Amino acid sequence: MSYFFDSKNTEQMPKGRVEGIAKVTGKAKYSAEYDIPDVTYGVMVGSTIASGRILKMQIEEAMKAPGVIDILSHENKPYVSGFSGMKEMPDNRFGLPIFYTDKVYYNDQPIAMVVAETIEDAMFAASLVKAEYEEAIPETDFAKKAKEVSLKETENDRGSVGAWENAPYKVDQEYTIATEVHNPMEMHATIAQWKPNDKLVLYDKNQGVNRVQSVISSLFDIPTDNIHVISEFVGGGFGSGLRVWPHTIAAVMAAQQVKRPVKVMLTRPQMFTMVGYRPESWQRVKLGADKDGKFLGVIHQAKNISSKIQGFSDGITRVTRKIYGFKNVKTEEAIVDLNVPMPTWNRGPGDTTGCFGVESAIDELCHELKLDPVDVRLKNIAPYEMETGLPWSTNYLNECLEKGAELIGWKNRNPVPGSQKEGDYKIGYGVAVGMWGSGRSYTGASIDMQKDGVITVRTAMTDIGTGTGTGMQNVAHTVTGIPKSKIKIELGNSDFPKAPSQGGSRGMASVSSAVYAASLALKRKVAGYAWPDKDANTLNIDDISLSDKGITYKDSFLPYADIFGKNNLNDIKVEEFAGPGEERKKYGFCSSAAHFYKVKVHEKTGKIKMDRMVIVADAGRIINPKAAANQVIGAGAGGIGMGLLEEQLIDFKTGRLIGNDLAGYHFAVNADVPLIEVSFIGKPDPNINPSGAKGLGEVGIIGAAPAIANAVFNATGKRVRDIPITVERFFNA
Amino acid sequence: MSMSRRFFLKSSSALAALSFIPNSVKAFYQDVKEKFFVKKQMIPIQLEINKKQYSLTVDSRATLLDVLREELNLTGSKKGCDHGQCGACTVHINGEQALSCLTLAAMAQGKAITTIEGLADGDNLHPMQEAFIENDGFQCGYCTSGQIMSAVACVNEGHTGSVEEIKEYMSGNLCRCGAYNGITEAIQQVAK
Ligand code: FES
Ligand code: FES
Repeated sequence: MSYFFDSKNTEQMPKGRVEGIAKVTGKAKYSAEYDIPDVTYGVMVGSTIASGRILKMQIEEAMKAPGVIDILSHENKPYVSGFSGMKEMPDNRFGLPIFYTDKVYYNDQPIAMVVAETIEDAMFAASLVKAEYEEAIPETDFAKKAKEVSLKETENDRGSVGAWENAPYKVDQEYTIATEVHNPMEMHATIAQWKPNDKLVLYDKNQGVNRVQSVISSLFDIPTDNIHVISEFVGGGFGSGLRVWPHTIAAVMAAQQVKRPVKVMLTRPQMFTMVGYRPESWQRVKLGADKDGKFLGVIHQAKNISSKIQGFSDGITRVTRKIYGFKNVKTEEAIVDLNVPMPTWNRGPGDTTGCFGVESAIDELCHELKLDPVDVRLKNIAPYEMETGLPWSTNYLNECLEKGAELIGWKNRNPVPGSQKEGDYKIGYGVAVGMWGSGRSYTGASIDMQKDGVITVRTAMTDIGTGTGTGMQNVAHTVTGIPKSKIKIELGNSDFPKAPSQGGSRGMASVSSAVYAASLALKRKVAGYAWPDKDANTLNIDDISLSDKGITYKDSFLPYADIFGKNNLNDIKVEEFAGPGEERKKYGFCSSAAHFYKVKVHEKTGKIKMDRMVIVADAGRIINPKAAANQVIGAGAGGIGMGLLEEQLIDFKTGRLIGNDLAGYHFAVNADVPLIEVSFIGKPDPNINPSGAKGLGEVGIIGAAPAIANAVFNATGKRVRDIPITVERFFNA
Repeated sequence: MSMSRRFFLKSSSALAALSFIPNSVKAFYQDVKEKFFVKKQMIPIQLEINKKQYSLTVDSRATLLDVLREELNLTGSKKGCDHGQCGACTVHINGEQALSCLTLAAMAQGKAITTIEGLADGDNLHPMQEAFIENDGFQCGYCTSGQIMSAVACVNEGHTGSVEEIKEYMSGNLCRCGAYNGITEAIQQVAK
């Protein structure tokens, strides 16, 4: 059963999203919310040391607690073919081989799962599970170890460092960013249910059902078709749902072992250790320019924290090679592996971090040169895709800058730091930009038309709040002509045509192409049934249109009832796939954004308030304006977190996180965020795909944090190079 | 009176299992349990949820949120932290905002509980629900039930004097998607 589209209330739909009613009435079913008969409850138990080995699990007391069915651990687990043959860690592609190792690599590493009759029983019993360890001294201090790790080139140098060593103006600074945790509001959850004949059903919170399918298939050595993954509603992701994490694998194992369905939902503290985070990072940016602010060269170095379990490089310097027209570029990176949980991609991975360094350094340079930061950026925008030499298909970063400057009233900004005041607050303006490579991936969509002319458009892609479903409906409506109230959407289900994960801003660019292709195919197929004497493939597609009643070709009209009747049909089905093609060889593709922020800084307390945030984005055609603006607003809110609030600390001695819950870890609440002003350039990209949409999820956050730091500098003259800018860091800067 | 189907199945199978164990063993187990374990107690309670009466037997440790979600399949109230830190589980108890994760089910007896499922009048949405759709006051939708329940309280309690006042009042309801513009604008629209 699909909950996405509530056809009873179609009159609501023109006002909002396809799944709007399901979401505002509480009817939407997220993964832990399916009512599965005979379900049991799983609760994960984490290690209490950060490095060492488990000598013995101590589960006797927990086993005696009421309702407990079983406790899985490395001492008690079913056979998992992908783990069983595995030799020593690390660097196996599944991350932690859960329950297949007695080694402990970080604190709160999952070491057991209690399965019990009720959630209360399972939680209580989990509190009783202990382990006896052989403990080693963990390495947990990023700043300390980073010094010992040497950098490696990410790619060949472009140009040479020698060429600009004598640049008249140079900045050479270091920047750091604290660990940031995704923390989608829905805690990760899985219900695993084995069915006869090695069939498995997973209700799972993730960003890509086909990915889950293939990982579980190779781990458990069962055909992908045996695995049915349902992720119809996903309560946010931001990257945390791009991997298959240990709790999902544990749920599958437990369901096998207890021979009943198992439901597991992580606790909020576990959300900090079990499903990734944006790694803490260090960067050094050395930038040279001539007296007019023309960039001569850059050296960008970066290191990020990583887990001893599996190396993860965030790709921090990548953006530097792309965003500006640097003729001379050197980029170097390193990962710093420690006894910490696994980091992963987090919204705008790498580029968000890298842009903080580069965009801050540019601001420093402009201040030194007494040049306007908007002008300097305009002067240096990459004229073509610098890495490949290909022309941009479209890149309207210049227009984003111009429009943003206009909207915020940039001309009223006083470039002298600390010179503007409103009451007790100093005020300042800052600018920064962001860019994200755009593209699309091979994606499928199907359309199924019923006798009454109602169509259902399906894809396996998930909608994690990005408005994918609504965008699909818009495309199907625009291409076929069928009214939106007659277009149902079903998605996030591995039974539907295959699709990539919802991530990297590729969702809309990919699925819109597939729906476009399927919509055209539907028109032709219906035309073929309507007028069998005509060759449907040769008809001009623009002359064919569908409505809620029937098909029109030029002056002829045929109602659906006739078409279905005379062909004796129950439904008309089409399925199409679309992916990148020749265009990738001809053009460079990017989305970009300019951030213009006004901050207020309280002189005595150091409190920083975001007063205005103007974000202008070039994301090609905007298929779904409300949801698109909302995406950018959300990214801006995320940027406030990165710039001012979010910081996950670790106790170096124990490797335990400090304050890892929503009381201890602060992301932006409503009052932290002004009404964000979003606008789009809105020009379709003619080459990326038929719809001209370039992707939007990431660019809204890339450049947000440096725009805040640059505004704080303009307000106060304090250059804060370590974020988030907490009161403490502000006063220490 | 209505009763959770799943609860009925669970309890009946537990009773069936119990009848196979000899009495002496049962008594011994009871003794050990009394001494060493925090006692799990099943207690009968009556709840009034969305104007409907429910007679249930629940674990004395069960929160209202878990009873709604796990026993009654009323999954509209969301669990975002289970510790009173996020607002996703917000319901109304006797017309006032309450966090169902911080309320034991047993404490909610004799009170009128309204969840997001009880807000609409049949198929007619509550004006706040309509306003959330119209203003796109959500993305993933996971915080939305809690946001709407708090938003209704925000208007009822008259905290809609300014954007700042709305934002302050609504700051106990976290939205990681950051749909704060739409949430605030929806409330402004209803308050008018
Ligand atoms: S779940 Fe109750 S406040 Fe978070
Ligand atoms: S809509 Fe996703 S958390 Fe609020």
